[in-house]
Amino acid sequence: MGKTKIQQLAQIDRVIHEPARLMIVALLSAVVEADFQYLHQTTGLTKGNLSVHLSRLETAGYVEIEKSFRGKYPLTICRITKEGKQIFDAYRRVIKSAL
Amino acid sequence: MKSLFFQEVEIDPSATARRLMQRVHNRDGLPEICIGVILLASAFLIWLQVAYPRGSFAYGASSWGMILLIAPMIGVSQPFIKWLRRRFLIERVGYVELRPVPRKLLIIATCVAVTVAAAMAYGVYRRAIPSGSWMIAGTGMAWGFLAAYAGRLPRYVIGGGLMAVLGICLGFCKLSFELGSLILYASMGILSLLSGCVVLLHFLRKQDEEAD
Repeated sequence: MGKTKIQQLAQIDRVIHEPARLMIVALLSAVVEADFQYLHQTTGLTKGNLSVHLSRLETAGYVEIEKSFRGKYPLTICRITKEGKQIFDAYRRVIKSAL
Repeated sequence: MKSLFFQEVEIDPSATARRLMQRVHNRDGLPEICIGVILLASAFLIWLQVAYPRGSFAYGASSWGMILLIAPMIGVSQPFIKWLRRRFLIERVGYVELRPVPRKLLIIATCVAVTVAAAMAYGVYRRAIPSGSWMIAGTGMAWGFLAAYAGRLPRYVIGGGLMAVLGICLGFCKLSFELGSLILYASMGILSLLSGCVVLLHFLRKQDEEAD
C-alpha cells in the first residue's frame, strides 16, 4: 500500500532538513559554485557553524569542497553534487505536496 | 516564523536563494556606480545633440556614440564588475559563479528587444511616434520599474520611484525629448553614482570593522 502524502514527510532526508543546511543547499543549488566567504556572508552563519554544516553535507555526499588558492587568498570552493541536487529536488517535492 | 519558513519553502527555495544572492550581489554598490557612469555617458551624448546643430560633427558623433559606446558599455559592465570583485574585493565579498542565463530566456529577451526596436524604427519611419512628453514619461517609468525590479533593495526601489516621478514631471513640463532625456539621465546618473560610492565606502568600512 502506497504512503499518503503526509506520511512521506517521515521519509524526509534529515541531513537537508536542518534549517542551516537547507539554506546552504538551496543557495548552492542556485549557483554553479561559491566559496566559503560568500556562503558565510550570504547565510549569516558563523564561520565555525558553517564549517560544521558543510562538513556534514560533504560527508553525506551532497556537497563537494575543493580547497585552492587565488594568489594569497585561500579559496574553499563549494558546489552541490548531482546526488545533492536530486535529494534537494525530492525534498522540495515532498514538502510541496504534503503541506 | 515557522509558517513564514514553510511559506518560502512551498513557493520555491531556489527562487528565494536567487533573490538572496541578488541582494548580496548589489550590496557593494559597484552595479550602481556602473549604471551611474553609463547614464552620465548617455546624458553627455544627449547634451551634444542639444548643444550642437543637426548635421554638425558633434551631433553625428553623439549618434554614433550611442551605438559604439553605450551599447558596448552596457555589454561589458557585468564582466567588468565581476573582474573588479575578483581582483580587489574577493577577500571581502567572496567568490561565486552564477548559473548562465537560460537559453530560452535569452531568446525571449532578444525577441522582445528586436520587436521593440523594430516598432520604434517603424514609428520613426511613419512619423507615428508619441510626443516627446510621453516618451520622456515612458522612459522614466520603464527604467524606474526595471531598477526597482532588478535591484530588490530599498535604495533601488526608491531610486526607481524617483526616476519614474521625475520622468512624469518632465513629461508635464512640455520639454523637447532631447532636453527632457538629458535632465532625466543626468540627474539619475548623478544620483546612482553618488549612492553607489556611498554604499561602496560604507561596505568597505563595515568589512574592515568586522575584520578588526
